[in-house]
Amino acid sequence: MLKVTRLSLCYPNGKQALSEVDLDVKPGELVIVLGGNGSGKTTLLRCIARTLAPTAGQVWVDGTELTRLAGEKLRRARMALAMISQHASLVRRRSVIANVASGALGHYADWWTAFGGLPASELTLAMDYLNEVGLVELAAQRAGTLSGGQAQRVAIARALAQRPRALLADEPVASLDPEAAEDIMCLLKRLAKADNLAVLCVLHQVELAYNHADRVVGIRDGRIAFDLPREDLSRDAVRGLYLSEAA
Amino acid sequence: MKHGIAQRPSRLATAAVAGGGSLAKATRFVLLLLGIAIVIQSTWVVHARPQDLITGVHGMVDIIRRAMPPDFSKFPDEIWPTLETIDIAIFGTLAGVIMAAPLAVLAAANVTPSRALYYLARGIIGFTRAVPDLVWALLFVTAVGLGPFPGALALSVHSIGMLGRLFAEVIEQMDMAPVEALALTGARRMQVFTHSVVPSVLPSLLGISLYRLDENIRTSLVLGFVGAGGIGFQLLTAMNLFQYQEVSLLLIIIFVVVITAERISAILRARLG
Repeated sequence: MLKVTRLSLCYPNGKQALSEVDLDVKPGELVIVLGGNGSGKTTLLRCIARTLAPTAGQVWVDGTELTRLAGEKLRRARMALAMISQHASLVRRRSVIANVASGALGHYADWWTAFGGLPASELTLAMDYLNEVGLVELAAQRAGTLSGGQAQRVAIARALAQRPRALLADEPVASLDPEAAEDIMCLLKRLAKADNLAVLCVLHQVELAYNHADRVVGIRDGRIAFDLPREDLSRDAVRGLYLSEAA
Repeated sequence: MKHGIAQRPSRLATAAVAGGGSLAKATRFVLLLLGIAIVIQSTWVVHARPQDLITGVHGMVDIIRRAMPPDFSKFPDEIWPTLETIDIAIFGTLAGVIMAAPLAVLAAANVTPSRALYYLARGIIGFTRAVPDLVWALLFVTAVGLGPFPGALALSVHSIGMLGRLFAEVIEQMDMAPVEALALTGARRMQVFTHSVVPSVLPSLLGISLYRLDENIRTSLVLGFVGAGGIGFQLLTAMNLFQYQEVSLLLIIIFVVVITAERISAILRARLG
């Protein structure tokens, strides 16, 4: 579903941010990426989403190779790949349901949506997605009034409205309290299974990775340090990721 | 021993502080002298003569006496010019908003489609703002003749500059994270703009437009002095004909219009917030 082969990124100043990263996330699988600050976790997600252009390697999403695409073809291909980040990035002055339904805009090319309208059918679907994240009662509320955890759930609902095949999550619980963080991770895991999504999630919270991941990938200095099923993951392996940062 | 040294400031440090203190005093003294010099030169340049105020009191009292009571019998004649004044401002603001909004999008560094268009839009905004509205009114009176239309055109063109700059600043200061998030969903450029940029900045743009309408109502009063219609033109005519009782009526109307516009604008802006 989401496949990364020999992905590399070298900045113009010569710094090697990613080196030949290989990764495979299957449908229904939640893969968590761990690593120290500056290890390349977020850079990996940005290269997959093509907000950064990798210097080598390939990214396959649902059978489409993204790194060769640009313009309209890239826009179309991106619809299969949703992304949520640390901050929910909602339009604060719009209602929750409008924010969710806007995730589906890429599927429409009519004048109504081009001038700010939302397709009526998408509003019905948006209610279903809000129901999936447990916030259907807040549909009419302004997004700016939500708590951090609620906003992140709405961002996930917006990602679902996109009807993606893979979901990238860049530290989605970094600004949340432990309870809200646990809720969001449970939700991501449930959605991966229920919607058969390939979920690749960058985290700093090791315990959440132990509790929720199907597989854990460790990144150190832009390289894959380990890629293991959760049950095979040792504390020493994880400690090694952060020790190298301290050294 | 070390403790003692640490507690007592060194002579060098004391001297530096003392030196810094006298430098600050000297700077303050120079700034004071500079301030006084600026006040003196401005008084000299404008030929300020306070004694003229005292000798002119008789003339002012005479005008006020002749202006009382206001001639309310002329009120029906002033309704149309008052409406003209308000409508000059409404037309000018509306046309200004319609033209300023797309220019502001081009002139906002974070959403402009190209650098060339950015500089072009900034140039137009800068030029329309730099030329005062009274000068625009004189130009349009020459071009299309006397009446409210040149006044409305003048306010439209000047509002492009004033609104364009403020709109562009609002767009530049907006949070770009929702815009980028929507772009990543695969939404088209126009969809990202209408569903993310517009709802984020619209309340601020409406607030600025209402404030501009309030300003334009005050400006449209003055535009009548150069033949651009409205109540200003009535005021100029009444003064030239020494009809001071009509002048006082017009001043009352102007006061009511300005205060009402200001209050309505403030109430609407508060509701937008």
